Amino acid sequence: MLSLLGGVFLGWSLGANDASNIIGTAVSSKMMRFWPAALLASFFVIVGAVISGQAGIETLKGLTTLSVHQAVITSIAAAVTVTIMTVMALPVSTSQSVVGAILGMGILNNQLNFSGLGKVVLCWVGTPVGAAIIAVLLYRIMGFFYNRIPMTLFNSDHILRLGLILSASYGAYALGANNVANVTGVFVGAGMISVLTAAIIGGISIAFGILTFSRPVMETVGKKIVTLEPFSALVVSLALAMTIHLYTLVGVPVSSSQAVIGGVMGIGIVKGVNTVDISVLKRIFLAWIFTPVVACSVALLISYASRLRYIPL
Amino acid sequence: MFSFLFKKDTRVEELIYSYLDTFRQILENFDKALACCIARPRCEEFDFLMERTHKYESMADDILDKVNNLMFGKALIPDFRSDIMNLLISLDKIPNHLERTLFMIRYQRLEIPGEFVNDVEDIIRISLESCELLAQQVELFLKDKSGRRSLMSTIDRNESHCDHIERRIIAGIFESGELEPFFKLQFKELIVNIGDITDQADRVSKLINILTLKRRV
Repeated sequence: MLSLLGGVFLGWSLGANDASNIIGTAVSSKMMRFWPAALLASFFVIVGAVISGQAGIETLKGLTTLSVHQAVITSIAAAVTVTIMTVMALPVSTSQSVVGAILGMGILNNQLNFSGLGKVVLCWVGTPVGAAIIAVLLYRIMGFFYNRIPMTLFNSDHILRLGLILSASYGAYALGANNVANVTGVFVGAGMISVLTAAIIGGISIAFGILTFSRPVMETVGKKIVTLEPFSALVVSLALAMTIHLYTLVGVPVSSSQAVIGGVMGIGIVKGVNTVDISVLKRIFLAWIFTPVVACSVALLISYASRLRYIPL
Repeated sequence: MFSFLFKKDTRVEELIYSYLDTFRQILENFDKALACCIARPRCEEFDFLMERTHKYESMADDILDKVNNLMFGKALIPDFRSDIMNLLISLDKIPNHLERTLFMIRYQRLEIPGEFVNDVEDIIRISLESCELLAQQVELFLKDKSGRRSLMSTIDRNESHCDHIERRIIAGIFESGELEPFFKLQFKELIVNIGDITDQADRVSKLINILTLKRRV
C-alpha cells in the first residue's frame, strides 16, 4: 500500500491547488468563511469521487496497461511536473500531467490507446471553450430573470450568496467526480486496487489537500477571480461546475483551472471587456503543450533512472 | 426560508430603515427650528429645537456606526456592503449641513433680515422637500420599486431652483446698503450652507441612480 502514497500526494496537491477554483471566489470575497467552505467542499469532493468518479478512472485506465511499478512512477512524475509548472508560474493541470506521464509509460510499453488519447486531448481544448460558452449562456439566461424578478437589495444579496454556496458545493462534487481519476486511476490500471477503493482513497486525499493547504493558494488565486462583480462570480462558479460535470459524464478528467479561465473569458465576451488578456491566453496555450510533454519526459527519466544498476568495476 | 442564515443582514436592513426615520426627525426639527428663528429670533424654543436636531443627528451617527460594525462583521456581499456604506455616508452629510446651519444661527447670533425672509423660507422648503424625496428614493432603492427616476428628476429640478434662489439672495446681500459688511459675509456663508443641502441631496440621488444601474446585469 506504500506505493499508493504517490497518488495520495498527488491528490493532496490537487486538492490544495484546485480548491481555489471551486471555493476561492466565495472565501476570498468573504462571502463564506474558510472552514465552512473547506468542509463543505471536502465533503462534496468525496461524495463526487465515490458516486461519479468511476467513468474517469475507466478512461485513464484504458489509455495504457501499467504495471504497479509504472503506476507509482506515473503518479510521482505527475506530482513532480505539477511542482515544476508551479515554479514556472504556468497554470497547472493535474489531468494533463497525469495523462502526459501515462503517455510516457505507454511509449515505454509500446502500447498506446490513440482513440482514448484523442478524446482526452480534444476535451482539453474543449474545457475553456466549453466553459466560456456555458458562462455566456448562463449569464444571458440568469441575467434575464435576475433583471426581471423584483427583489429587494437584501434579497438579491441572499440569492447570490446562496447561489454561490450551492454552486461551490456542486463544483466540489464535480471536481471530486472528475479529478479522482487523475489521483488514483493509474493504480486501478495497474490492478492494485478496485475502482471504488480508488475513488474513496482519491476523494479523501483531495479533501485532505483542501483542508490542509488550500487557504494560501485560495488567497492568491481567489482575489484575481473576485475582481468580477457578484453576479458574474456566481456565473463563473456555476459554469465551472457544469463544465467539469459534463466532462465527468463523458469520462474525461479535465482541468478546473482552465474551466475557470474559460468561464471568465465568457463573462468578458458578454460584457465586452478584457477580463482575460492575450498574455494569459498565451500562458494557457503554453501549459497545454508543456505540461503533458514535461510529464511524459519526467516519467521516462524516472523510469530509466529506476532501471540503472550499479556495476562494480 | 433561509432568514436564519442572514441574521446580520436583516439587522443591517432594520438599522437602515431606523436611520431613515431618524433622518426624517432631523428634517422635522430643523424645519421647526428655522421657522422659529424667523418668527422669534434667539428664543428658547429655537435652542430646544436645535438641541433636538443635534440629538437626532447623534442618533443617526450611532446607527451608522452600528451598520458599519455589522458590515465589518461580514454581513452582505462585499460589493453590496461598499454600495450601502457609500450611500449612507453620502446621505449622512445632509444632517451635518442641517446641524451646522443651526449652529451658525445660534452661535454667530444671526437673524434673517426681513427683505430675505421669503427667499430663505423658499430655499429651506425646497431643500427639505428634496431631502424627504431623497429618503423615499432610498426606500424605493432598497425595496427595488419603481419611481426612483421620477424622484431623481424632481430632486434635480429642486436643486436648480435652489441654486437660483441662493444666487439671488447672495446678490441681494451684497447689493444691500443697510447690512454691515461683516454680517454680509456671515449671512452669505449661512445661505451657501443652506444651498449645500439640496446640492448634497442631488448628489445622493444621482448616486442611487448609479447604484441601480450597477445592479442590473
